[in-house]
Amino acid sequence: MRFLAGLLLLLTLASPATAQKQVNVYNWSDYIAEDRLKVFTAETGIKVNYTTYDSNEILDAKLKAGRSGYDVVVPTASPFLVRQLAAKLYQPIDKAKLKNLGNLDPKLMAELAKYDPGNRHAIPWMWGTIGVGYNVAEIRKRMPDAPVESLGMIFDPKIVSRFADCGVMVLDSATDMFPAALKYLGLDPDSKSSADLAKAAEVMKAIRPSIRKFHSSEYINALAGGDICLAFGYSGDILQARDRAAKAAQKREIAYGPPKEGAMLWIDTAAIPKDAPNPEQAHRFLDFMLEPKVAAASSTLTGYANANLPATALLDKAIAGNPWIYPPAEARAKLYTITAANAEQTRERTRLWTAIKTGR
Amino acid sequence: MRLVIALPYLWLVVFFLLPLGLVLGLSLATNAPDLAPPVELGLSFASFKLLFTDDLYLAAWLSSLRIAATSTLVCLLLGYPMAYAIARATPPRRPLLLMLVILPFWTSFLIRVYAWMGLLAENGILNQFLRWSGLMSDPGTILGTEWAIHLGIVYAYLPFMVLPLYTALEKLDWSLLEAASDLGARPLPAFLTVTLPLSLPGIVAGCLLVFIPAVGEFVIPDLLGGTRTLMIGKVLWDEFFTNSDWPLASAVAICLLILLVGPILLFQRQQQRSLERT
Amino acid sequence: MSGPIVKIDGVAKSFGAVQAVAGVDLEIARGELFALLGGSGCGKTTLLRMLAGFETPDSGRIVIDGQDMTGVPPHLRPVNMMFQSYALFPHLDVANNVGYGLKREGVAKTEIAERVAAALALVKLDGLGARRPAQLSGGQRQRVALARALVKRPKLLLLDEPLAALDRKLREGTRFELVRLQEQLELTFVMVTHDQEEAMGMASRLAVMKDGRIVQTGTPHDVYERPATRFVADFIGVANILQTAPRRWLALRPEKIVLAANRPATAHAATGKIVDIAYEGDRSLYRVAIGNGPVMLVAQMNTERVRESHRRGDAVWLGWSDDAGQPLEE
Repeated sequence: MRFLAGLLLLLTLASPATAQKQVNVYNWSDYIAEDRLKVFTAETGIKVNYTTYDSNEILDAKLKAGRSGYDVVVPTASPFLVRQLAAKLYQPIDKAKLKNLGNLDPKLMAELAKYDPGNRHAIPWMWGTIGVGYNVAEIRKRMPDAPVESLGMIFDPKIVSRFADCGVMVLDSATDMFPAALKYLGLDPDSKSSADLAKAAEVMKAIRPSIRKFHSSEYINALAGGDICLAFGYSGDILQARDRAAKAAQKREIAYGPPKEGAMLWIDTAAIPKDAPNPEQAHRFLDFMLEPKVAAASSTLTGYANANLPATALLDKAIAGNPWIYPPAEARAKLYTITAANAEQTRERTRLWTAIKTGR
Repeated sequence: MRLVIALPYLWLVVFFLLPLGLVLGLSLATNAPDLAPPVELGLSFASFKLLFTDDLYLAAWLSSLRIAATSTLVCLLLGYPMAYAIARATPPRRPLLLMLVILPFWTSFLIRVYAWMGLLAENGILNQFLRWSGLMSDPGTILGTEWAIHLGIVYAYLPFMVLPLYTALEKLDWSLLEAASDLGARPLPAFLTVTLPLSLPGIVAGCLLVFIPAVGEFVIPDLLGGTRTLMIGKVLWDEFFTNSDWPLASAVAICLLILLVGPILLFQRQQQRSLERT
Repeated sequence: MSGPIVKIDGVAKSFGAVQAVAGVDLEIARGELFALLGGSGCGKTTLLRMLAGFETPDSGRIVIDGQDMTGVPPHLRPVNMMFQSYALFPHLDVANNVGYGLKREGVAKTEIAERVAAALALVKLDGLGARRPAQLSGGQRQRVALARALVKRPKLLLLDEPLAALDRKLREGTRFELVRLQEQLELTFVMVTHDQEEAMGMASRLAVMKDGRIVQTGTPHDVYERPATRFVADFIGVANILQTAPRRWLALRPEKIVLAANRPATAHAATGKIVDIAYEGDRSLYRVAIGNGPVMLVAQMNTERVRESHRRGDAVWLGWSDDAGQPLEE
């Protein structure tokens, strides 16, 4: 009898969903000020089931497998959101339910509209650029006039080879690296033509001997710990490396160089999967994300720029005034985005990328 | 009673045959990125064809097999003396020695691999020691090389080699070695003609236990290896996640399975024969 | 070459705190079937293993066929051993088991085949060369082990409890078989056994061991009829041990005593009462209480078929001659 009673108790404990409203959020790790989540629950009575991932690919596979059970997810606009939109994985956002929608930066909305026409399925959350991260002292020692704010720093074999001895890492991402190489060559960074890709591949094969590793996150610790002196990566990650290096026992100065030729702009977005079990609560959560206070707190945490205009005023000067986070108008005008590739183009690019990496 | 007998079969069907059928079905489907899941079911051998015609995949297979084979060999060369020493230790000591072999398993595999990263990095503990001690001023970096992959695999899989070897050697009647020596065999020939053939089942089991997972290993080459080393596990990951090509990823998985079924069958037949013998 | 084939000089061996062999001197002549006899833990096996080279003496030395064996590993000794467990190689067939030692010597293949066939014929296992040890009976395995050791033509064959793993019936036959082989091949055998009957029945000479020492060496007849100590007298066969004076005893074998209703005409006589009779067919064993003193064991052959000679409770006389007993001082 007692066993049965215990079992019943367990069952009732295990299914609070029937008793309380909830929203299932699947986000990047360290990507929202989590203390604000309690405020959300207090204000709305909606419990937040918050889980995290650390790669777009994992999210992509989960959504494509179906019945993920998530109400709000945070994919990067290109290529993942685009790919997922093509597979019709998202439901349109009911804009009438988002009273904070007007807070969003119209310029960023316009960029995002290239991927999601009419901004029907996703709202921008955080954004940043891709550029050069470097160890100031090590670079100066080897080349006092190093062009740290140029793509040549990475893609010119004569320059990058001077830093091979202290370690160079670049992103392990064909979708991020090919556009940058094309930009360096003065070609259209969004080009999908085989001829252009071949030229970009030649550039990367030439710098291959100088590159210690291709990886999309290890460079944060490697840069901070002095294992490498040069990286090509996401602005926010390099700022994280800077902060970690500043806190370390052995101080190292890490800096970011946004490419003057024009940097690739990436946007992470929030969207509601088509089969979200709680679409109503999902909209409430999106509206919560659009609150300036939430966006500002999250930017303070991550060191990324947010898409929320009124939030800028709430930010610390060290963030709002940092040209590496919020680039000045002139640099912002040169930011570029890329469109998604089809399956054949993706394969061709991945194949070329693997060949470059393995030095074949 | 019938239920008890049926249970393992049920388990096999639900957790092996069903998923295997699914993967097989997927491998014969066509990639359709605009669908969710991104496949169009059918009977297409395009994925397999691509797998066998593109030399990139072939290279990945070969380097996976090569790395798995050398790692297995190193594991055998390291594991055999270890297992031998444990089997010859006094019985009260053996549990302690075995425990030391198994002890690393108490820590998460991932944490142990990360620990190696900390040891082998450019400014890692190993290089710091080499520089501090003055043994080498410019030791270079092991992390990110094929050496690091081998090291990682040998470290992670060594217990899988030692345990079956120990089981085989522990059963060995040591008076057989005395007999060999009594009949005029020097220590090395005695080892080669008596110990080695009698521990063969342990050698085969240990090698399979190391070789099979090492061929498909993903985490170790990803974390410890450089980008220059291409392994089939990484290819599978790339196809599934980066290219979102589930059929091709499934085809890789099926080929991996077929490749590894061969040695397993061989092992089973050998086991069968040794059973008939006794 | 003449002289003893084995010469053991002051050999001692300890395992940790346990002294297994505590100073043994022994010489074994060519062509002997020598038995090391003793209870478990007496050091007989350790001594045998030192002859084979599996154990190294802590002190003393062993000379085999004039060659000092100090530092000579087992594979270089002119000695072969038949193991108690037989230690046949389970992964090799009978022919390869027997031929193993010849192969190690580098003997030519054809010669190996001939010698293996001859050895198998010698132990009456012709035609079983292709079998695996697991497919043989216990007695067949024992003979393979013997053939494997003999085929090397050793100067000295060591046998560790050669009959212990066989059942009783098989043991009898094998005993004679081993003696026949030893005589036919004119080899020297050194065997270890805990079974005094086995040692008595087979050995041309034997050594009784106790606590790592040799207590007595001699022919079976010597050791039986003239035991040197109370231990030997008791260990080999059965003896009544009578105290004749302080630190002086007399060992009297049961069959050397006459049992009669009236006083027998022997030099010594005593009266007593039968307390127990064990009828064994060919003979009967009587336990006779002498007054309030010792109970003596007496054996009488049952030469008559019809009548029981004595009953329990009968008052009887025991008698023995002057030379029936062996005086002992220890």
